[in-house]
Amino acid sequence: MERSGYKSEIPIFEFHGGIHPEEHKLESNQTPIQEMTIPKQLVINLKGQAGNRSIPVVNVGDKVLKGQVIAESDGIFSTFQHAPTSGIVVAIEKRPIAHPSGLDDLCVVIETDGKDQWIELFPKKNILELERAEMLAHICESGIVGLGGASFPTHIKLKRESGIDTLIINAAECEPYITCDDRLLQERATDVLKGAQIISHLYDDIKIIVGVEDNKPNAIDALVDARKQLEMDTVKIAVVPTKYPSGGEKQLIQLLTGKEVPHGGLPADLGLVMHNVATCVAIYEAFEFGKPLISRVVTLTGEACKKPGNYEVPFGTPVEHLMSFCNATNPGVLVMGGPMMGFELPNHKVGIVKATNCIIMAAPKELKHDHIALPCIRCGACMDACPASLLPQQLYWHAKADEFEKAEEYDLFDCIECGACAYVCPSDIPLVQYYRYAKSTIRNQKVEKTKADKARLRHEARQERLERVKREKAEKHRKAAEARRKAAEAAGEDDAKKAAVAAALARVKAKKAQQDDSETDNKANDQKDTDA
Amino acid sequence: MSLISSPFAKKPTSVTELMLWVVFATLPGLFALVYFFGFGVIINLILACTTALGTEALILKVRQRPVLPILFDGSAFVTAWLLALALPPLLPWWMTVVGVAFATVFAKHVYGGLGNNLFNPAMVGYVLLLISFPLEMTSWLPPAELAQNPVGFIDALSYIFTGTSMGGEPITAARLGVDGFTMATPLDHVKTELAQGYRLAEIETHAVISGLSGSGWQWVNIGFLAGGLFLMFRKVIGWQIPAGVLLGMVTMSFVLFAGNSDHFLSPSFHLFAGATMLGAFFIATDPVTASTTPKGRWIFGLGIGVITVIIRTFGGYPDAIAFAVLLMNMTVPMLDYYTKPKVYGHKVKRQQGDTDAH
Ligand code: SF4
Ligand code: SF4
Repeated sequence: MERSGYKSEIPIFEFHGGIHPEEHKLESNQTPIQEMTIPKQLVINLKGQAGNRSIPVVNVGDKVLKGQVIAESDGIFSTFQHAPTSGIVVAIEKRPIAHPSGLDDLCVVIETDGKDQWIELFPKKNILELERAEMLAHICESGIVGLGGASFPTHIKLKRESGIDTLIINAAECEPYITCDDRLLQERATDVLKGAQIISHLYDDIKIIVGVEDNKPNAIDALVDARKQLEMDTVKIAVVPTKYPSGGEKQLIQLLTGKEVPHGGLPADLGLVMHNVATCVAIYEAFEFGKPLISRVVTLTGEACKKPGNYEVPFGTPVEHLMSFCNATNPGVLVMGGPMMGFELPNHKVGIVKATNCIIMAAPKELKHDHIALPCIRCGACMDACPASLLPQQLYWHAKADEFEKAEEYDLFDCIECGACAYVCPSDIPLVQYYRYAKSTIRNQKVEKTKADKARLRHEARQERLERVKREKAEKHRKAAEARRKAAEAAGEDDAKKAAVAAALARVKAKKAQQDDSETDNKANDQKDTDA
Repeated sequence: MSLISSPFAKKPTSVTELMLWVVFATLPGLFALVYFFGFGVIINLILACTTALGTEALILKVRQRPVLPILFDGSAFVTAWLLALALPPLLPWWMTVVGVAFATVFAKHVYGGLGNNLFNPAMVGYVLLLISFPLEMTSWLPPAELAQNPVGFIDALSYIFTGTSMGGEPITAARLGVDGFTMATPLDHVKTELAQGYRLAEIETHAVISGLSGSGWQWVNIGFLAGGLFLMFRKVIGWQIPAGVLLGMVTMSFVLFAGNSDHFLSPSFHLFAGATMLGAFFIATDPVTASTTPKGRWIFGLGIGVITVIIRTFGGYPDAIAFAVLLMNMTVPMLDYYTKPKVYGHKVKRQQGDTDAH
């Protein structure tokens, strides 16, 4: 593929490993972005972002307008969701969703009316007058999440202010096949930069760097033009060599700064915040036009796709609608995301979510290879390819043997599941699957362990309480006996009869008191048990 | 576990392909061997490979594994191929068969097959033969230009299968040099002569020691060096192990040589003598039994180089690559453990403020 000759404006560092898979970008990046037709039904997953499920605020039967809020943030870790077009809510129920788990989840189903009628929008062009909190709230209410693939709620990513000195715009779309960011830059580089400018208002003083791979020459030219046009001279364009996974957050940071995000830390620990180009456009539109995030550019490609290209697709559009639009009658595999990190969609009815950057409608032989896995020959090709500098062969060895502690010792959790190792493995071992399996098993074990720990603690507490009750009982007995003895003494020996009566009375009293006590005690304790 | 999961893309390099490259890269060295030592080399190769494939197939059947796919991974073939290249040209046929069969069954499958063995199978077979049949294993033919009775293909066949030539001549006849002495390899020759009390300068006048490292041998080594560099270039093997072996060898022999050049062979002699290049590029680099980390590979190679020179100089066997490789095989689990590369994000403290990423 053509490489841009544009010289990077900042020095570029290296990251370990990486691979050069066939790019397959030309299939889809030659035509302008087009509007996707609106399907009869939209299936909008309420957990369409990383984090928690949004809370629906419409009911079945409600008429909704385009851009109307249909679900709100749970207040902690989610965003708003909006109707992508006008229509009627016909169901709020569990449906299959676009997720590797293949599980069902709560969705709002909208029967579209074809009128595509907007709700009234409220732009916020007066950015300089806005408080930081207001800006973040607006981003959240516009339903904006990271559109690079992880769909982390953007307002949360932007929350930290102190110590941030660099904003990196991630335009290093490194997965094969995917070209949505490339096209977006070619056609709307000014909007991308305007979005970046809005983000920069959230910080006191921040540099902007755009990191872009050199296999996007037109995008780079468009960026240079846009920068000139907007007079944003301080924006630096960093051109990185084409290598997978340059677009990985950690790898791009290493390429542009030479620094590594500390283990268990965040880019913010290095003073960095990173956003994807599409996210920038979404932010720009949210402020400039008051437009919530209701659609995104999706690359439709693959050999089975007869109209490859990039399309502005409303969220919730069922994949089968896209397939029939592209005359993809019988794809071999249907992948959401790229071939390196995407997953196979088990169900064609699932709706597009905010994370859907690409749908590959592959011909039967295009992405499937039927080699059987041979034993690992410890050739180390995987190690040489691993951008995290792990030892994939050892991780595999231990994961396969269910030696999860050993796998953790080899830093299993630093694996970013990029698939570079499996790509190069001459033995065709599906390495990433082993890592996912090991990770999920370890996570489950940890959950089980906390559960067991809790149960143990509860058991111990209960045991102790029973002991205490016993001790208290004994103490009461002792006191009662004491009282009897005292009564007897007080009565004197000549009045033995009287004393005997007094003693009997005291005994009865003590017993009653004790019974009452332990009853209330037990009740209280039982209550505590159920609470716990 | 579902087999269809990312990555969906795959680099089309297979184990079989890697093995084929290895075999291909031995060709220059093989031609040199055949040129100088006759067709016995080819017959050994055919014998060894047939035995390996037969044994492998049998064992896979017994272990109830799919025979064909594993047979075609080429690993058994390559083991036999490399072992055969290290054998003397007229070794009796059954010794070759025993060595290869032993290597396949015991050095490989007893450990669980490809990928699970601790020791380099070819070298296990080689050492078994060396210990069991020291005489046959160290009896080489004279190189072509020194041979009194050059051995043709038919005679080679006859020697290998019957012990005598077609004309009924005993094998010792084939081993005579022009001067009427039985030929040994240059390393062997130097060793016995030194033991006799000769000084190196005197030994070096002998015909068999001519050239860089003995007549014919430097060409064999240059052949394997060329093939090895090709493998390195094709990224079939990493560069750390061969570099380590050669560096270890040069360093160790230089220390000795600088101390007493009358008694110890020069580094250049070691480099181009015996199985040096075959060992450095083709044998020590067996991925399964070598260290797998970059640093570990360095140490692994260095160890082999140093040990080889030590055994060649002070040990009982003239060439010593096989022992050195097996010895270093034993250190691999430890090497791997202590040479883990620094994982991304774990070296941050050290690197902070550091502008150079690597
Ligand atoms: S690339 Fe495959 S065969 Fe080679 S060491 Fe890694 S897992 Fe093993
Ligand atoms: S998937 Fe994990 S182990 Fe494999 S190359 Fe990527 S980061 Fe390394």
